[in-house]
Order: sequence, then structure tokens, then C-alpha cells
Amino acid sequence: MSTQTATAFQLDYVKTIGSVTVQLGRGFINPYDVAVSQDGRIFVLNRCDSARAQLVRVGIINWDEDYLGEFGKGYGPGDGQLMLPVAMALDSQERFHITDEHTHQVSIFDLSGEFVKKWGSSGSGDGQFNGPAGIAIDADDHIYVADQHNHRLQKFTADGQFVTQWGGAGSEPGQFNMPWGVTVDTQGDVYVADWRNDRIQKFTSSGAFLASYGESGNSDGQLHRPSGVAVDPDGYMYISDWGNERLQVLSPDGDCVANLRGQATLSKWAEEFFAVNPDERETRAQSNLVPALPPHLSAPHHVSSQTEPYFWGPVSVKLDREGRLFVTEANRHRVQVYQRAK
Amino acid sequence: MKINGKDSVLVVLQLSGGNDFMNTIIPYTNGIYHDSRPTVGIPAEQVLPLNDTLGFHPRTGRLKALYDMDKVAIIQGIGYPNSNRSHFRGMDIWHTCEPDRLVTEGWLGKTLYELDPQHENVLTGVSFGRGLPRAMAKAGVPVTSVGNLDNYGMMTSIQQDQERLESLEIFKEMYAPAVGSGAVRDYLSQTGLDVLKGSDVIKKAPQTYRSTVDYPDNPIAKSLRDVARVHFADLGTRVFYTQHAGYDTHANEVPTHPRLVDELSSALYAFMQDLWEHERAEEVAILVFTEFGRRVKDNGSGTDHGSGGGAFLIGERIKGGLYGEYPSLDPSQQEHGEDLVHHVDYRGVYSTLLEQWLGVEARPIVNGHYEQLQPFAA
Amino acid sequence: MADKDLALMAHLMRRAGFGATREELEAYVAKGYEEVVEDLLHPERFPELDDTLFCRYYALGSTMVDATVMWHARWLYRMINTQRPLEEKMALFWHHVFATGWHKSENTPAMVHQMDTFRRNGLSDMRTILLDLSRDPAMLDWLDNNENHKSAANENYGRELLELFSMGVGNYSEQDIKNAARAFTGWTFAQPIPLYPYGYYSTHFEYREGDHDDSEKTFLGHTGRFNGEDIIDIVVQQPATPRFIARHLYNFFVADEPQVPAWQIEPPQDPEAIEAMCQAYTESDGNLRAMLRVLFNSASFKAARFKRVKSPTELIAGTIRLVGTHRFPEPGLHDLATASTAMGQFLHNAPTVEGWHTGKEWIDGGTLTERVNFAVNEMADVSKPGIQDMIQRLRAQGPAVAPETFVDTCLDLMGPLEMGDEARRALSRYAHSGGELRFGTPEEADASAARVGRMLQLIVATQEYQFG
Repeated sequence: MSTQTATAFQLDYVKTIGSVTVQLGRGFINPYDVAVSQDGRIFVLNRCDSARAQLVRVGIINWDEDYLGEFGKGYGPGDGQLMLPVAMALDSQERFHITDEHTHQVSIFDLSGEFVKKWGSSGSGDGQFNGPAGIAIDADDHIYVADQHNHRLQKFTADGQFVTQWGGAGSEPGQFNMPWGVTVDTQGDVYVADWRNDRIQKFTSSGAFLASYGESGNSDGQLHRPSGVAVDPDGYMYISDWGNERLQVLSPDGDCVANLRGQATLSKWAEEFFAVNPDERETRAQSNLVPALPPHLSAPHHVSSQTEPYFWGPVSVKLDREGRLFVTEANRHRVQVYQRAK
Repeated sequence: MKINGKDSVLVVLQLSGGNDFMNTIIPYTNGIYHDSRPTVGIPAEQVLPLNDTLGFHPRTGRLKALYDMDKVAIIQGIGYPNSNRSHFRGMDIWHTCEPDRLVTEGWLGKTLYELDPQHENVLTGVSFGRGLPRAMAKAGVPVTSVGNLDNYGMMTSIQQDQERLESLEIFKEMYAPAVGSGAVRDYLSQTGLDVLKGSDVIKKAPQTYRSTVDYPDNPIAKSLRDVARVHFADLGTRVFYTQHAGYDTHANEVPTHPRLVDELSSALYAFMQDLWEHERAEEVAILVFTEFGRRVKDNGSGTDHGSGGGAFLIGERIKGGLYGEYPSLDPSQQEHGEDLVHHVDYRGVYSTLLEQWLGVEARPIVNGHYEQLQPFAA
Repeated sequence: MADKDLALMAHLMRRAGFGATREELEAYVAKGYEEVVEDLLHPERFPELDDTLFCRYYALGSTMVDATVMWHARWLYRMINTQRPLEEKMALFWHHVFATGWHKSENTPAMVHQMDTFRRNGLSDMRTILLDLSRDPAMLDWLDNNENHKSAANENYGRELLELFSMGVGNYSEQDIKNAARAFTGWTFAQPIPLYPYGYYSTHFEYREGDHDDSEKTFLGHTGRFNGEDIIDIVVQQPATPRFIARHLYNFFVADEPQVPAWQIEPPQDPEAIEAMCQAYTESDGNLRAMLRVLFNSASFKAARFKRVKSPTELIAGTIRLVGTHRFPEPGLHDLATASTAMGQFLHNAPTVEGWHTGKEWIDGGTLTERVNFAVNEMADVSKPGIQDMIQRLRAQGPAVAPETFVDTCLDLMGPLEMGDEARRALSRYAHSGGELRFGTPEEADASAARVGRMLQLIVATQEYQFG
């Protein structure tokens, strides 16, 4: 199933972080993205849904899963508030830039969670958005935003000044159909998860088309509604193949080297829960974490919704400085962490 | 039933989500409490003691003030056998008095039927909030659900007063009964016109209300103020229903629960002040309840569903004090080794209110005979 | 003549779906009634709704209580946007008949799975439908069939299968219930992974042979070592089954009947219609498509305009289809679900196994207020695409629209709706109070648009608008 490259690719599971909550505080609720600061804190963007909008926030934890706080609370259009946040990125000053597809803006918070400013407006002109989704920031603090309903990528300076844009609706190379995740590699090239075109597209930092990876389907090398991509220093592409409920890894040449369904285990918060509520362990013990399913329940989301270790709604993939890969599962309220074997 | 010449009134205040009773009335001298609750436990020195072993949560000062006036009956260890830990089913059981069957009639719906058998007054039962809680439901019994007392009735989204009045005039014309249109259309006409009539009547409440009391700015205070406004307008309401949401503190209990009990306490205090100011307190009794209590042990961020919670009866005519028995924290005394045991069946509390306060026979409403308390002053 | 076609088509689309815009109606009329009926009966002719679009905005991993609101909202979104209206309507129909409540298990994925099953098999044959139902985890849990053991039977599912889901009271004995229950022992579901720590999990049907009582049973005069499938085979052969289901179809698609408990005493209002459907059932081996084909093409169906009180779902979905919003997963969708619940219908969450009481029982002072206020509020913003479309069509009538034409056209575009004398007079009076509707200058156009909005608000406030 995997293609052997010169050095065999191997991705190891590390651990699972998180558990579900219906309150603010410790827990995740439909997390959509993570970011890791230089001091090793992990910031989790919780989107929730509009029926329980008061739970939207960015939660802060560390690698030991101590809950440290939150910011961006209080659903609304005001300064420091979020409504339908999609993604976040850190710039060189370690400020968070968070896209909001309801307000069509980017909100900036500093590392302590204080609101700095917001920019952007609704429309299709330069610097305007119709559903800003993925966001990535390169080493020079250029900001790249996937503008989903305008089917384009826009590039800005650190302060939100428009630089350039490229794309347009369609399925030709260089065109997009509701693009979602964006990332920048160590060479400064830009990758876009071209959601409805079922592919990843690679561009130079000024938008010149370089390559396209993937096509519609669920086999190796195929994608179904990819939502995000991360690229490591060697050029391996880690794709949250959202519609296929899996993590797919492509070599720099675009060959599939891994397809993971997920292997979540109990997180630290989960273990703490069971320590206090031992009868819950009994019910869990009676259930099958990886059931054999009848043939009509074969679609990826059918399988994932009944199988505990599997990804369900893997919306984003992010790499940190240590090479740890964070896969955020919006439907499972947790993050699975992997690391490439040395 | 008349109290000092006025019809007795019951105000039911539902705490939705499962209030952590053990952090509301706290066994502050019990080592098990502190050991089990390293995260959410309240330090003994912060508690407001009411006796040598129990104290109020530090943010419930206003409720304690009412308790110190002997107006609060704390019902400890309230529940029922095989307590259900699901919010919906658990709350249903409190609403319908049917632990084993799903039914659609509630105890207050049946009560309203007894209080107003001819359904002469659609305001006999008033619920604040959208939709009708099952507790108040019974087929054929009209209950008024008020989302916003200051803007109640038909076509409330038409902002300009004059235009709204004109539209309501047109509405009235359109709903005039038409001869020969059949039973369903007759019913629809009647219902529409009744709503118009009801809104005209209920309008009096905000229009005639005068008070010096400053209610705090929180949702339950707003509801209780609406109760006061309707009560003072003498519209014939006998049963009020209000809800305070957010008590499901599986996580984040440390900031959340104190805020909630603070809101609750200050709201109840303001409400009592308002009743006293208008000399309308004698005939009002308040029941504060929740669908279940929470676990003894915390989970590091909050507490999970448990049982054997508590309830409060508050009012001018209440003999304040402790009722029932505080459930034992000793694990060997607990259900399944981890849930607090109840000593007072909730249907006994309902029966107490039905017979001793509202003057209505309890057995057919609560589906059985349950021991009552004696919380009312002679 | 064309108007009658349009009114008839609007009636068909309200019943077999959730209503249609004027543009859609004109296209359907051009296609022809019988052909449209066939299209409705064959949803597979049309593409499925792209669920990935909805899921991109609303991550639906079910957590607790409130996530059910979003699943409810999702179903309303489907009703508004589907190109397979009858498929969604049949899912709603079966939800009414096989009434299951989320509130017992609180497992949202199981409820959604049940609706997906209804979408998939809703137009197939009764045997398939009852078999799938008997394997549905939400239903098995709801009626305690997971507690129905070889050593100790639980009759709940066996009873309701006969009483509420197929033949109806009076067509079987207590002994038949007992034996049906015994035949379904072992029909259960795999224990789903519990809610904590990662949210709710779906589950699937499981047959436990060791727990199944395979001894000889007598059921409705037949004897054998019956298993669940055998019971269903016998049930679908009974004449009482099509009669019962046909009456449900009549109540849901044609005209309000009394509530089900009264069916033993009160005969159907249109026995011929029931009989015609029964015949179609027999000739087609119990096929719902065949029954509905007969129903939709019958004279009595075509004549049954506005003979049903709309359910909250139909009121909401129909009104939103008219104003043209929520054609994309925009925020505010959950408000539709909250409104429906306040009106008495929380989808995926029937109050008891008897389901929602329909017809006039949807209406009381509180729900009528919610219904009127909801619709009035929807008509407040005249910039909505559907309302703009109506304004344009009014403008197309000429530079100045006479008051009577104003009323007539609005009633036509909102339905066409039929108004009683009182309502018509009141609406006329309003139209006359403002004189002609002029669109000459921008100021006139704005003022006229506002008047149109108010007229639409008055129309949706009528008693007549409560019927569909």
C-alpha cells in the first residue's frame, strides 16, 4: 500500500489530547484548528455551533494537558469576539491571526490572548472576503488567506495590506472551488487544500502555479474534500482528507506513503474522568471500540462515527517546531498527535 | 386556597442542568467533602455557616439572608428511587411524576385543571420562556407562555406601535368567527381572539407596575421580576413557572457555579423584597428544584451527574430551617457506591404544596401517596 | 385554465414536498402533472443533497443535548434545499408513524440514522420498511427490545409493531402480541461507545442467536418456529395492514383525520380513497410508491386543498422556501429549529410512541402565537430573494397596480391561497388604504416594497395560512 522511497516513511502515533465539554473551561467543543507557540503552549480553536454559540473560544493547554485558560470568548461581531472561526496562524511576533467566515474578517490577538485589531470586510474586491477560511503566515510575515466563496487566495502584509490575489472559480490548474486550508513550506511555497476540487495545489509565494496533487476518490493518492495540509522540511505533505475521514501523506513527488484512519486512545482528561466515574468504565467495557460493521454502513463517516480510534471530521493538520503533527478532529472534540520516526 | 383573603400562588423555579447541591449547602466540616473535591471544593473558611456542619456557598449571601429571616426551607436529600441521570428523562420525571412511563401531562397542568376546571382564565398558569414546559402541559388546559412580557402577543416583530395596532385590528377582523366554516375554523378563530384578549389583559402588568426594588441584571432576576409584575396586576395567576439554565457543570465549575448561585440568590432576594414592598408576599410560595444532584468526587474541572440533590421552599409563610437529612458522604452509604441517597421523595414535596398550599388533592396528580413535610407556619 | 394547473401543482408540491416557488411551479406545470408525480415518486432521478457542504459549516459530531438542535436544523435545511422532496417528506411521514423520541436515549446519531433509513426505504415495500425498522437501534432502544430476552420477554416492541406500526388495534390478540415479542427476542444492537470522553457514537443492529426464543409460536392463525422476519411476512399479508397504513397516508397527504386512538370507532372520511390505496398495495406486493401513485393522481386528492393544518415543520419549511433564504448553510439556521420546537415539533424527538397529535391539535394559544409571529417575522425583510421576486412580478403588472390586483397577486404568489370572506375583506381594506401601488420613482418603489411586505405579513397571519 505504501510506496517505498529512499528512506522509508513512518509516522508514529504519540497521544490524544482533549475531551468533549458543554461548558467553557477544560474541554474542547468542535475544535477546528490548533497553533503551538514557541514556549510550547498549545492553542485550540473551538468553533462549536451557532445553537450553543457562547462556547466559542480559543482554549490554552500545554503538552502536559494542564488547562491554562481561554480567550476570544463571547460570540459576537465585536472586538475580541468570534462567530464562525475557521483557522488560525501565528506570525513572527507570535500574534494569532484568526479567520472568521461569518464576519468576513481576520482578528488578531497577542500571545496573552489580548485583542489587537481586526481587519477585512465582506465583498469580492481586493482585500475583501467572502468566507475567509484557511490562513498561513510565511517567514516574512506575509499572510495568505483562502477566500472560499471568491474561490481565490489572497496575500497580505502583516498588517493586512493587500499584496496580491490569484485563482478564480473553476477546476483548471490555478483555479479553486471553495478552498479551505492553507500552509507555507520551508521554501516559502504555498499549498492550498482545494476542497471541492479534491486536490492540493502548490504555488510560489507570488501565486505562480507549481503543481497539483490528488484527484477525486478514496484510494491512495485520491482525496475527497481535503480540508487542510501541512508540509514538513523534507517536503512530505500531510493532508487532512476530511471527506475520507483520514490522514493521507504524500511524498514530495506526490506519491502516497501513508493513509491513516486514526488510532486515538484515552487522553489524560479522559483518564481523569474515568478515575472519578468508574461506573462509566463498565459501560465502555461492554462496547466495542472497533466494531465490525454491516455492509450498508461502509461510508467513511459511518465507520468513523462508530469507531473510537478513527478520525471523525479531521479538519486541520499542523506541524510544530519539534515535528509533531497535530490532527484536529472537529467531530470528536480531540486532537491526535503523531510524529515522524527519525 | 386563600391566604389572608388572597388566592395562594405557587412560583416554580427550575434550575436546569443539575445544580450541585453539595456546593450550595456545603458540609464544610466533613473531611470526605474536601478530599473528594480538590478542584471544586469550597474551603471551610469561605463558607457561610448555618450550623456546625453545614454552610452556604460564599456567593449565596442573599439567600442566606432570607434563611436567617426564617423564610427558607432547605430540603436536603430530595430525589426518587433509581434516579435517572439523563437531563431530559430526569427532568421529565420531575415534570410528570411518572418514572416508568413516558406521558405528556405534567403535574402543574393537572393542577391548573383543578384550579380552573372551566378554563375561564388563560392566565391561571403563566410560564416565562419560550415553549411550554411539560410540567405545565395538559390537553385542553390553556397556559400562557411569555417570552417577553414587555412585548407579548401577536405580530410583535412589527416595531412601530401605530402600525402594530393597525395590524392587530386587521388580525381581529380576519379571525372573526364565520358561520358554517366548521369546527376546526371555529376553534382557530376562538384561539386567535383569545390570544388577543389575553395580550390585552397581560399588558396591564408592565403598565401598572411600580417598584423601588432594583433587580440585578441577570436572566433569572428578569423572570422573577416578570412574575412580580404579573402577580401585582391581579390577573388571577395561580402558578408561575420560571427556569434558570446552565447548571450542568461537568467542566469549568469553579467560575460557573458561583456565578449561577449568586444570580439565583440575588434574584430571589430582590423578588422577596418586591413582594414585601407591595405587601403581596403572604400568598406566595416559591419552589426551587433541579433534576438531580452531582457526584461527590470532582473530575478535575467540574462534577458529573449524580443524585440526591436538594430543593428550597421560600416564602413569607415558610417555616425556615433544615428539612430531610443531608445525604451521607460515606461511600458505603451511597447508591452504586457513588451517588448520594435521597431521603425525601420529590412527590412528597409536590404533595405538600398541592394540599397544604394550593388546596388541591395530591394523589391523582403525583400518582401515589407520599409523605409530606410541614414547612408552612400556622 | 393555466391558473388551475398552477394551483393544483402548488397543492401537489405542498403535500408531496414543502412547497415550491413560482418559478419552480411554472416549470412543473410545463412538465405536466402526471410526469411530476413520477418524478416525485422516483427521487433517484435527481441528485442527492451535498451533505459535505452542510458539514463544512456545522461539525455535527454529536455531543449533548444542544447538538440535537443543529441536527434538527440540518433536516429543515434538507427540506428547504432538496431536489428530492418526496424522499424527505416520506422520512417525515415515517417519523410521524414510527414515532421515536431522542429524549430517552439522548443518542442523536441513532436518531439521525433512523431518518436516513426512512429516506432510503420510505418509498419501498412494507416488508422492507418493517424489517429495517425492526433492525433500527434507535427503535429497539426506544421500545426496549434490547430488554426482550429469551428468558424474559419484553412485549413493548411486539405490541407497538402491531398496534401502531402495521395493523392497528382490534386485529390481533394479546397472545399474538406475546408471540410476536418472543419472535423478536435477540434483535438488539451493539452497545454504543458512551458519550464520554469523545461525544456520542452511532451503533448498529446485532442479532444474538443465543438470546433468541426459537420455539414454536402461533401468530394470527399461523404456527411455526417464527423469527422476526416471519412475523413481518404474516403481518404484511393482513388486509388490516394496508388499511391502517393507507389511513395514515390519507391523514398525512390528503386531509386531517381524527387521532389514531379514535380510528377503531370513527371510520375514514373517504373510504373509497383508502380502498383504492389498499388495492394498489395488494397489486404491488405492498409497495408505497404504488399506493402514492394512486393517491396523488386521484380526484379526491386533487380536490383536498387546504384540508390539513400544517405541521410546524411544513409551516417553517414552506415559509422559508417562499422567502428564499437558507439556500446555503448560513447562521441562524438553528433559529428555525428552536421555532419549530416552540410550536410543538422538535424533530427527531417525538413526545411518545403515539407521535405528535396533528390537525387542529397543533394549535393552542401559545403555538398559534409562535406560528403567526414566525411567519410575520420572515416577511419583514423585503430584501429576501423570494420576496424580491414577488415584488418584481407585481411591478411587471404595470406602473400602477390597483388595490384589488395587489391583493389578488399577492395571494396568488403566496400559494395560490384561498381566502375566506372576512380575511379577503380585511386585506382589501388594507390595500385600498394605500391606494395604487406605484413603482415609478425610487421613493415610490421603496414605499411600495414596504407595503408589499406588510401585505405579505398580513397574509401569513391569516387563519387560512395555517392550512396547507
